[in-house]
Order: sequence, then structure tokens, then C-alpha cells
Amino acid sequence: MTAALLPVPLCDYVALSAVMFFIGVAGVIVRRNPLVMLMSIELMFNAANLAFVAYARAWLNNAGHIFAFLVITVAAAEAAIALAIVVVTFRASERVDVDEVRALHG
Amino acid sequence: MILIALLVPLAGAVLCWALGPWLRAAAGWLATAAVAASFGLILATGSGSQALFSWMPGFDFGLTLDRLSLLWALVITGVGFLIHLYSIGYMHGDRAFARFFAYMNFFIFAMLLLVLSDNWIGLLVGWGLVGLASYFLIGFWFERPSAVAAARKAFVINVVGDVGMMFAIFLIVANVHSIRFADTFSAVATLGAPVVFAICFGLFVGAAAKSAQVPLHAWLPDAMEGPTPVSALIHAATMVTAGVYLVARCAPLWDQSASAQMLVGTVGAVTAIGGAILGASQWDIKRILAYSTMSQIGYMIMGVGVGAYAGGIAHFFTHAFFKAQLFLASGIIIHALNNEQDVRLMGGLTKRMPLAFWGILTGVLAISGIPGFSGFFSKDQVIAGALAHGHPWMYAVGIATAGITAYYMFRLLFVTFLGEYRGNVDPAALGIARSTGSAQARELAAPHKPHHQAPSWIMGLPVAVLIVPTVFSGWLLFGSSVAPSLWTRFFAVQFAPSGTAPASVPEWVTTLVTFAVVLAGIGVATWRYATRSARANAVARLRNETLRMPKVLANAYYVDALIDVVFVRGAQILGAIFSRVVDPYVIDGAVRESAASAQALGTAMRALQSGFVRAYAFVLVLGVGCFLAYYYFVGAR
Amino acid sequence: MMSPLVIVVLPLVVGGLLFLLPRDDIRISKAAGALVAAALVVLTIAGRDESWTWHWLTHPFVANLHFGATYLSHWLLVLLALCTFAAIVATNVARTRSMVAALLLLEGTMAGLFLARDLLVFALFWDAMLLPVFFVLLSWGEHPSVAWRYFIYNFAGGLALLFAVAGFGAVVGTTDVIGSGAFNGAIGPWAPWILAGFTFAFLVKTPVWPFHTWMPSTYAATPAPMVAVVSAVQSKAGLYGFLAISLALFPSYFTAEVPALVILAVISLLYGAFIALVQSDAKLVVAYSSLSHLGLIVLAIASRDPLALRGALVYIVAHGLFSAALFLILGFVEEREETRSLGKLGGLGWANPRLTGALGIAALAALGLPGLAGFAGELIILIGVYQGGYAWAAILALVAIVIAAAYMLRLLQGATQGAEVADLPVRRDLTWVEGLAVAPLLLALFYFGVYPHALLASGWLRP
Repeated sequence: MTAALLPVPLCDYVALSAVMFFIGVAGVIVRRNPLVMLMSIELMFNAANLAFVAYARAWLNNAGHIFAFLVITVAAAEAAIALAIVVVTFRASERVDVDEVRALHG
Repeated sequence: MILIALLVPLAGAVLCWALGPWLRAAAGWLATAAVAASFGLILATGSGSQALFSWMPGFDFGLTLDRLSLLWALVITGVGFLIHLYSIGYMHGDRAFARFFAYMNFFIFAMLLLVLSDNWIGLLVGWGLVGLASYFLIGFWFERPSAVAAARKAFVINVVGDVGMMFAIFLIVANVHSIRFADTFSAVATLGAPVVFAICFGLFVGAAAKSAQVPLHAWLPDAMEGPTPVSALIHAATMVTAGVYLVARCAPLWDQSASAQMLVGTVGAVTAIGGAILGASQWDIKRILAYSTMSQIGYMIMGVGVGAYAGGIAHFFTHAFFKAQLFLASGIIIHALNNEQDVRLMGGLTKRMPLAFWGILTGVLAISGIPGFSGFFSKDQVIAGALAHGHPWMYAVGIATAGITAYYMFRLLFVTFLGEYRGNVDPAALGIARSTGSAQARELAAPHKPHHQAPSWIMGLPVAVLIVPTVFSGWLLFGSSVAPSLWTRFFAVQFAPSGTAPASVPEWVTTLVTFAVVLAGIGVATWRYATRSARANAVARLRNETLRMPKVLANAYYVDALIDVVFVRGAQILGAIFSRVVDPYVIDGAVRESAASAQALGTAMRALQSGFVRAYAFVLVLGVGCFLAYYYFVGAR
Repeated sequence: MMSPLVIVVLPLVVGGLLFLLPRDDIRISKAAGALVAAALVVLTIAGRDESWTWHWLTHPFVANLHFGATYLSHWLLVLLALCTFAAIVATNVARTRSMVAALLLLEGTMAGLFLARDLLVFALFWDAMLLPVFFVLLSWGEHPSVAWRYFIYNFAGGLALLFAVAGFGAVVGTTDVIGSGAFNGAIGPWAPWILAGFTFAFLVKTPVWPFHTWMPSTYAATPAPMVAVVSAVQSKAGLYGFLAISLALFPSYFTAEVPALVILAVISLLYGAFIALVQSDAKLVVAYSSLSHLGLIVLAIASRDPLALRGALVYIVAHGLFSAALFLILGFVEEREETRSLGKLGGLGWANPRLTGALGIAALAALGLPGLAGFAGELIILIGVYQGGYAWAAILALVAIVIAAAYMLRLLQGATQGAEVADLPVRRDLTWVEGLAVAPLLLALFYFGVYPHALLASGWLRP
């Protein structure tokens, strides 16, 4: 029955989720544009969502679906707040570059 | 009754102190009356004991009046009364007249407490309080820096003595579990010899400090900064003999420890002769008397130390009279000569001050041991006692000291009273390098003291009265082995008869030898100061003697310098090192070091906080990586 | 039934209310403060065997708001009340209202400390009592660094104490153990660490060498009324802790610490004495003499001899009385002469005889004059220490007594004797109000000196 529900092996979903997640991580670390960094973070969220949903289907447990919705909500809220911060922070500056913002350095 | 006798002087002191500004001259009479009342009460009581209260659980306080304390209490209040009376005249017009009598009465209270207590702590309290009274009275004219320094020195050296007694009390309480004399003495036989010696040693440190015995004597000559009645009462007749009282009181302890007796006798003998030699080299009349006091107390200590208790305290008894007499009579001179104390600037005073002359003459005859006068009997008892208890070298020292004593006392008498008055001679002509002690300097230092006040009958009466016991008090000691003297019979109850060695030298031989040495001393003094040519050339001769005085004597064997360098400076240097080096650099240095290392750690960590968001993200990822790696490689097992 | 609580709460409430008065008020705040302090003197002397409990915590361990005096804390409370009364009456500083309020807050917090029967409550008041002193130092002291130094040292001690209490609670399950006798003494392997936390806190607070360096600067900078209470009573918090906690709850573990404590106590005793000998600031002389005297009490506690412990109580009270009196009187001297340098002072004996007399009694008590309370404490302690097996320590302590005589006389003579100093203005002698402040302290010194039995009526401490 599990096989019928998952035509593609669970392993592939998890692998794709991992790849997406690490692309997101790389994006956050490598890119300096805060918008791209936010997008990378979204990517990581979605990688997590994919894993949640895949496991939910594989194990027939709706908790995964519920968590996926929760993650989507949180991601939306995060995006709203983060974009607001980005706008406020970079309103005065010419370049949009997170390395310019280091007022908290030691 | 005993308690009342004790408290009356205290009440007098409190009244004089609190009501001083209102009492004025009446303070003197009030204080004198208080001492007289105390004398009367003690005499009326005679003997007995009184339990008072529990000082702390297990330690009870009480008073006791036995024959030993009766003797001391009567001398304290009797001589004290005469000196109080004398002080009314001597201190007349002083700015702090009432305060003086408050201190004097306080002293009487403290001294009575000392001799009446039946326990160690009461004794120690009295011991400390007489030291305090002495401190107050030495520093009575406290605008003089020298008086302030002398007072402090006296107090601190006496605290050394107190501390010695505290040590003895530790041992007593630890071994006997009681503070009462009676319990201690009855337990003596059960204590080991080292313990008894240690107790005696501690007690004797106290006795030596209070009685100005070598090496704790340095305060007594300086104590002459106090007013002369104080010197007479505290630093001659009563307080300084507390050490003698202590040794006599603790006779059962000393009887158990031959080495302790040896220690005390030796110190007494050394002090007797050392003080006498210094007495022969002084020019200040009060300092001569101070060293003489030290030397005479050396006699007493030697006497009680070797076990001749009745003899030692007999010498206390006669000494109290003749030394008070000497001080009071010299006080008349000092008073009349505007506080001049240098005998080189006196001379020819016989006619001007006949009472002082007679006072000093009888005192000198008594202290020198001229047969018939009081000192003769008591000194003989001490000297003979030293031999009888098997200490021939102390016997020899005693006889030698008697000769020196006769020499310097007659020197004092001759220089002061014979020849021409030298008060108007230029001090430089006498070889006096005047830095301190000049009459002018004293006047400047004590501006509130009125001058040119003839000794009234108030000052004369005590001197006249004291002539009687000065001459006759020794007769109480007159007796023989067949018919013991009144004194011997009176104290036979107090002291267990100690083993008297068969006298190798009959007593009359001792008496004769001593008297011969005394006569020799008087002869030398006469030859140097009293012959016609000596009187005629007095100025030149005194100048000569002043300039030739050996440095070691003029500086009192450098004891003061030694104390100053070793103890005073030593403590100050240690204090300076602690406060300037250890506190700021070692301890605070360590604290600052730890603060600094925390700061350095912070500085190092600070480099990690680059402010680059991406760097933080990278570290975070790295951390997650490590976490996962741990579980993959280690946690999986 | 309520009296322990009243002793804690009344001064705290009144102290807080005083801040509602106008900033420059002097008379109302001083009168109210003196009234409350006097009421507390009566309450502390009268009330003894009462306690008040309110359940506070069950998890992670049982803790109660439990207040009640023991025999030991009864005398500390009397001392606290007397000293606070004297300090409030003697207060004569700028911003009197705030000073009186701070004194009342200090009294309330310290009363809480001494009355606490629960370790957690004890720890809370331990830190709370730092605050009045800290703020007084900040606003009256010359430099804030002194205040911070005081706070950091003592708070570090407080932190160690808190850890120790938490550890105790976690291991034993309840902290309501002070003076109860219910606690059986078994703590387990953590006991040395828990005890070490307590010991560190008490050593810093007392202070004992080498944790003393906060003390001289604090004592020199704090205004006289406050420093009188701090040196007289707050310094006893550590000693009280040793007696009521370390010794009473950890008797067997305490033994292991004894050698170190004896050595530190003897070092304090001599170190403080030698430094006091060379100080020229009168307040610092007294500050370092306190180091020496408190070392003696720590020595007594460390010796654990019953006699020495009795002596410790006598000397705790005596030291409180004479150090409060000394600081207050030196405050009077400083108000008049505007200096406390021994080199500049002098000749007060002629100008101000009553002031000199008061200073004399306090200084003589401090140097251990027989007949005053300091002597009684010293002697009983040293007899006990001697027979308790620390003869060498007792003999070294005797050296400190001789030095004490030298430095106290130096202080007394430096301030009062010598010729009248010409460039010092002639000021009024001790006033009635000032006399009212110090008289109870001085009379108590006489009373306990002649009759220390009053303090030792019963076997107050389990051996």
C-alpha cells in the first residue's frame, strides 16, 4: 500500500530535499544580496517542507502535512518581516550588500 | 565592706570627672576624702573575703582581704591620702585640676582592685587599669609632646606585661579550670614543673613590665614627665611595686619552681645594680629618683624571688614611705624653682627650703640604710635572705648595690643642698647642653602653671608626716631568731616557712659588711661633693663630671635606642611593606590580573564577532556539521 | 507571633516611605528614623522565642519564608538595632533624608538576614543588604569605583553563597534548616563544595585576608553613620554565617577547613595590626584594626572550643559596639575639623573634652582595656583558643594585642593630645544629640566588660 502511494522511492524525495537544502545553505553563505539570501532561506524552508510531505505520505501520518503548513505560514511571516528590515536597513545606502551592515562587529 | 572601700575612690573619680567644671577646688578635697574613707574602711575591716558575681559561667569574681593585700591596701590608701593632700597644693591653679584628681582616685580604685581581687581576671583587670591611670597621669600635661610620648611608651610596655599575664592565665585556666587564686594554689602540686615554670614566666613578664625590671624598665624614667605627686604615688610607692605583690601573692607557684625563682632573683639583682649605676649618672632629680626606684624594686623582686617573701615585702613597705617622702620633698623644690629639675642648677637650698631639706635628708638616710632608719632593716632582710636561700652572688650584688645607692643618694643630697645656689649660673658653664628640660622650656610647655607659689601647709604637712614612718617604720622588723619581729609573726600565716639554709654567715656579719660598704659609698660622695674645696669649685667640678660622663651611662645602656630600632621601627617597616607593597601589588595585583585575563579573553573572542552575517551563518552551518558528524561517527555506536 | 516579621518589615517600609518626603527634609525623616530604630531596639531586646513561617517553594526543593531569632541572632539583632539607632541619631550629612532611609533599609535587610531560618531567604537578604551601602557609596563617595569594588567583591561572595544554597537544596531537599536542629548533617559527596561556597562568601564578607582589599576603601569613603553600621554589624554577617551555617550544619566537613581558616585568621590578625600602625587616616586605622579584630573572631570560630565560641559572641558584640562608636566619633571629629589626617589633628583634649572622653573610651575598648567589653571577648577567646589546641595561634594573637595598644594610642593621642592646633577652628564640644547617639554604645561597652555573663547566660551553641 505504501508503494502505491509513493510511485517514486522515498529515498529520492529525501535526496532532492537535501540537495535543495544545501543549495539554500550555499546561497545564504555565498551571496551578499539580502534578497537572494532570503530566497535561499525560502529554498531551505521548502526543502524541509518537501521532506515533511514525503514522509507524511510514506508513513501515512498527517503530522507531516500539518507541519508543512506551519512552515509555510512561518516562512510567509518571516519573509514579510525580513523584507521590511531589508528595506529599512538599505534605504539609505546605495548598494544592497549585507557585508556593509556590520554595526554589531566586536 | 571591702567592696565599699573599693568603690568609694571610683565614685570619687567619677564625680570629679563628671562634675569637674563645677567642683573646681573642692574636687581635690572630695578626692582626698574618698581615699581617707577607703583607708578607714579597710583598716576597720581588717580581713575577710566577699563573693561578688559570676564574670562568666564558671568564672566567679570576688574580693579578699588577707594580710598581704591588707598591707598593700593600707599603704595604697595611706600614702595615697597624704599624696592627694599634697597634690591639692601642688596642682593648685592647674587648668585641669579636677581631672587630675579624677585620675588619681581612679588609680587608687584600680590599685585596690589589683590587690583585693581573689582571682586572676580581677587581678588582670586591676593590672590593666593601673596602667591606664599611669598613662593618663604621665600624659597629664598632654600639650607637651615628650609627655605624650612617655605616656604611650609606658602604656605599650605595660601591655607587653599584661599580655604576659594573659599567657599565664591561659595556662592556668587550661590546667586548673578555675580563675581563683585558691584553686590554683591548691592544684599547684599536681602540675608539672614545665607548666609551673611557664606560668611563673608569664606572670613575671607582667611583674617585670609593671615594676620596671630589666629589660622592660625603659618606661619608668620617662614616666617622670608626669606631675611630681604622680611620680611619688604611682611610680615610686605603689603601682610599680605591683610586681612584688604579684610574686608574693603567687608564692605557692614560685616555691614549686626553682628555675622560676632563679629567673626572678637574677632579674631583680641585675635591675638593682643596673638601676643604681644609672642613678649615679643622672642629673635630673626626678630621674635620679626614678632609677633609684627601679633599683630598690630590684631589691624587692630579688627578695621575693629567692623566697624571702617577708623581707621583700618589708622593703616595699619602708620604700613606699621613704621614696614618697623623697619625691614629695623634691616636688617642693621643683615647685619653688619654677619646674627646674636639674640638680646642677640647684645648690645651697638648705636655708631656703628647710622642710624639703629635712624631708630629703631623712629619705636619704633611710634609703641608704643608716642603722635606725627604716631602710636599714628591710634592706638587710633582703640581702640576708638572698644568702639564706642559697644565692651568694645575689647577696654580693645586694651589698654592692647598697654602696652605690648610698653614694648616689648622698650625691643628690650634697649637690642639691650644699654650696652656693647655682640657679643663675649659665647652664653652659656647667656643661649642660640644653635642648629639653630647661626651666624656660618647661614654662613654655606648661603655661597654665602658676609660678612662685610658696609651698603652703598643704604641701608641707604630708612631708612632715611622712618623716615619722620614714624613720621608724623599720622598727617593726626588729627582732631575732629567738624573738621574731612583729613583722615576721604577722606574715607567718601568709607564707609557708620556706627552707632556710643554715646561715653560713651570721646575720650580724652581713649587717656589718653592708654598713661598711654603705659608709664607703657615703665617703666617696662626701669626698666628691661635700668637702670644702669641692663646694668651692662646684661649678667646675660639675662641668667636668658632666663632660666626662660615659656615653653608655648617659644613654642608659642604649636600651631606648634598641627598642626604637628593633621593635618600633621594625613594626613600622613591616606595616609599610604590608600596606604599600602586599596590599596594592600582591593581593590587588592578583585581583587585577584575573580581571585583566578576563578582559584579554574577551579581546580574543572579539575577533570572532566580525559583524558579517554570512560568517555567522557559516559558523552555524559548521556547528551543525560537527553535530551531525559526531552522531554519525560517535553517537551511532 | 508577628514580631520577627515586624522587625524585618517595619524598617523596610518606613525606609521606603521616607523617599516620599521632600528631598531636603531633615527633621521629619530623622525623627521618624530614630523612632523606628528605637522601637526596634525595644522589640529586639524583648522578643526572642517567636517565629513566623510562610510556605514559599516546593520545587525544586522546599523553601519557606521562615523568620525567627536564635540565641546568637538575638544578640546580633540587639547590636544591629543599637548601632542603627546611634547612626540615625548621629546622622548629620548632606541629604539627610536619603541617608536615614538607606540606614533603615540596611537595618531591615540585615534583620532579615539574621532572622532568616531558611538558607534561601538568608541568601536573598545577603545580596539585598549590599544595595543600600552600594547606593550610598555611589552618591556620597568620592569615586564610583569604590562602590563597584565593594559591590563586585561582595556580590561574588553572594553568588558563591547562592550556588551553595542551591546545591544544598538540591541535595537535601529543603533549605529551612538554620537553627532548627532537624537537619541530620548528612549531605553526601557534594558537601565539601557546598561548604566551600559558604566559606568563600563568609570570608569575603567578614573580611579575612586576602579577601579584605575592598574594605579599607569602602570604610574610608562611606559616610560615618553608614560605615558605623557596616563595620559594626554587616561585617558580622560572615561570622554569623560561620557560626549558624558552617559550624552548625556542617560540623564534620568544617573540620577539614579548620587548618586553612586558622592560618588565614592569624594572618589577618597580625597583618591588619601592622598596617593600622602606619596609617595616617584615622578611619583607615580603625578599618585595618577591624581586619585584625575580626581575624581574632574567625580564629575563635575555627578553634571550635566551647569557651572560644562564647568569647566569639562577646567579642562580636564588643567589636560592634566599639567600632560603631569609633566611626561615629571620628565622624564628629571630621565634621568639626574637616580633616581626619592624624598629622593635622591634635589638641582636641583642650578644645572638646567631652568628645575626647568619648573617643577615649571607644579607643580603649578597641585596644582591649581590661574592664571594657573588648577585653572580655579577647581574653575568653584566647583562653579557649589556647586550650582548644591552637596555643601557637593564641600566642601570636598576643603580639597583635600589643600592637593594638600602640596603634589605638597613636590614633587617640594624634587626635586629642598635643598642643591645640592653631589653624584648626575651635568648634563646639559633643552636643546632646551626638552624646545621645554614642552613650548607649559606650555604656554597653562598660556593662558587657564588667559583666560578660549577661551575654553567656545559656549554652547557646551546640558543640
